[in-house]
Amino acid sequence: MLSCSLQVAWKTMSKESRMKATINQKLTEMGERERLKELLRAKLTECGWKDQMKAHCKEVIKEKGLEHVTVEDLMVEITPKGRALVPDSVKKELLHRIRAFLAQHAT
Amino acid sequence: IPDALTTTMSPAGCPHVNSFKVDNWKQNLRVIYQCFVWSGSAETRKRKAKSCICHMCGAHLNRLHSCLYCVFFACFAKKHIHEHAKSKRHNLAIDLLYGGIYCFMCQDYIYDKDMEQIAKEEQRKAWKLQGTTALPTCSRTTRCGIGEKYSTWEPTKRELELLRHNPKRRRITSNCTIGLRGLINLGNTCFMNCIVQALTHTPLLRDFFLSDRHKCEMQSNSCLVCEMSQLFQEFYSGHRSPHIPFRLLHLVWTHARHLAGYEQQDAHEFLIAALDVLHRHCKDDNGKKANNPNHCNCIIDQIFTGGLQSDVTCQVCHGVSTTIDPFWDISLDLPGSSTPFWPLSPGGDGSALNGESHTTGATTLTDCLRRFTRPEHLGSSAKIKCSGCHSYQESTKQLTMKKLPIVACFHLKRFEHSAKLRRKITTYVSFPLELDMTPFMASSKESRMNGQYQQTVDPFNNDNKYSLFAVVNHQGTLESGHYTTFIRQHKDQWFKCDDAIITKASIKDVLDSEGYLLFYHKQFLEYE
Repeated sequence: MLSCSLQVAWKTMSKESRMKATINQKLTEMGERERLKELLRAKLTECGWKDQMKAHCKEVIKEKGLEHVTVEDLMVEITPKGRALVPDSVKKELLHRIRAFLAQHAT
Repeated sequence: IPDALTTTMSPAGCPHVNSFKVDNWKQNLRVIYQCFVWSGSAETRKRKAKSCICHMCGAHLNRLHSCLYCVFFACFAKKHIHEHAKSKRHNLAIDLLYGGIYCFMCQDYIYDKDMEQIAKEEQRKAWKLQGTTALPTCSRTTRCGIGEKYSTWEPTKRELELLRHNPKRRRITSNCTIGLRGLINLGNTCFMNCIVQALTHTPLLRDFFLSDRHKCEMQSNSCLVCEMSQLFQEFYSGHRSPHIPFRLLHLVWTHARHLAGYEQQDAHEFLIAALDVLHRHCKDDNGKKANNPNHCNCIIDQIFTGGLQSDVTCQVCHGVSTTIDPFWDISLDLPGSSTPFWPLSPGGDGSALNGESHTTGATTLTDCLRRFTRPEHLGSSAKIKCSGCHSYQESTKQLTMKKLPIVACFHLKRFEHSAKLRRKITTYVSFPLELDMTPFMASSKESRMNGQYQQTVDPFNNDNKYSLFAVVNHQGTLESGHYTTFIRQHKDQWFKCDDAIITKASIKDVLDSEGYLLFYHKQFLEYE
């Protein structure tokens, strides 16, 4: 019964989603996903992005009150700013890494 | 799901986990972490890649969660996991990206001590696994794993006690002078003082000693490492009066007899002797004895030891015989000495890379390094037995850096002791504040030999970049002279250490000085 629902899910996905899912599978299988995550983490810390986000979180918590704020609140508040503040150089490097990986493992 | 807005979050978790914590829950939770959150092995990764998609929409993104009560994956962003929680009354789910536990009753992530402990352990396990598995693909930096997960330091009970009993705190501001202290000259001991200044301002060495990492196993009082530790305490004590290093001098005389006596000695010789004694007294940092004198893991080796590759190429069969020897310093010949300095070999111009000034045609440090790493024809009188040709053949020899030390010490050979003459070479050699050792690496040489003369500098590769942090200078002649040291404090402040006198110096003062021993520190520290 489980596999049925998965097959249905697969069929209802768009071609683009399916491609994304396949790429993600490959990245996860080969452990590249974890490596990329760590690379990204290091880059975002280096350029000060992490500190900026931390400061913003503190602001949100102050606003909402420590007792009542939820992770959801924080996510909603900081996600758009976080996405916008990622430096282009970091995006470039990650993209370059992913492309290189896919080129190496083209099926 | 009842209104949970009045529930206050506490580090003790939430009451709703109790129904989960039954039977073999710990093991079940571990399995979920191992298979679907932090997959350490190739097998679990494969399974994760295949099965971690939303059972309702097939998405692998959108903050995928796994139900803790049954095998059901669903995305959070589209609220698919919420639907499952409601319909099945399974009120706990785990975030597959970060491992956080979500309680649908509390409507927030919860922090249960027991569960957090399991999460931490599983994450550490997975990271360790990833570090040792030989993966078929190697990332650009040739690292196969990620290393150990960084966890922030937390004081132990004992440490908290000590901090409470010792309330005095020292504040390090950007212009404080802590760490700067003069050294009394005990009779031509400037050769020792200048090296002590360089060593006490080597960041990694300072951190090692100030965090009390030396555990002494010597029975007697003659451990030089203990004395160094004491010296660091003196330097960072905040005292401004000059220190009298009589105990250090005595220990040096005891362990390095050739340096004993009150005559003038060579600072470079003292550096090598001091590193040697410290290395011998250190043993392996992990507590194991240094079985192999060439390959121990003491702090001295970790910081100062590099690997020098020597390639001897047979001129007939072009077979290459390679050896790698450890080194603590690189001794460079200078123009004006009796050994010929020019001509240099083509390819790999390092000067442009290091931005040194060739304004007055002055020799640069990079010139010296290029000369050091040039292929040298060994001549017909020095034929080497070639294992390929099975006979003695003429050959060329070339030195390159196989492994760079964290601290690179360059020794400019200013003292000539040839059979004919003894003199000091005072040729000015210009050296940079920032140095890139890439052109002198064994790996760079390989790419040059493969025809890639045009070396594109990889802006993302920071492995070979160094910063100057100490310069030892010698004033005077071979017979009678005086040593002083420029050291770098904070980021861009330089000070001149002249025995007991410390004065502020400008970067220009440092770079215009003659230079005898140049100390460079790696800019970026990578995991092994």
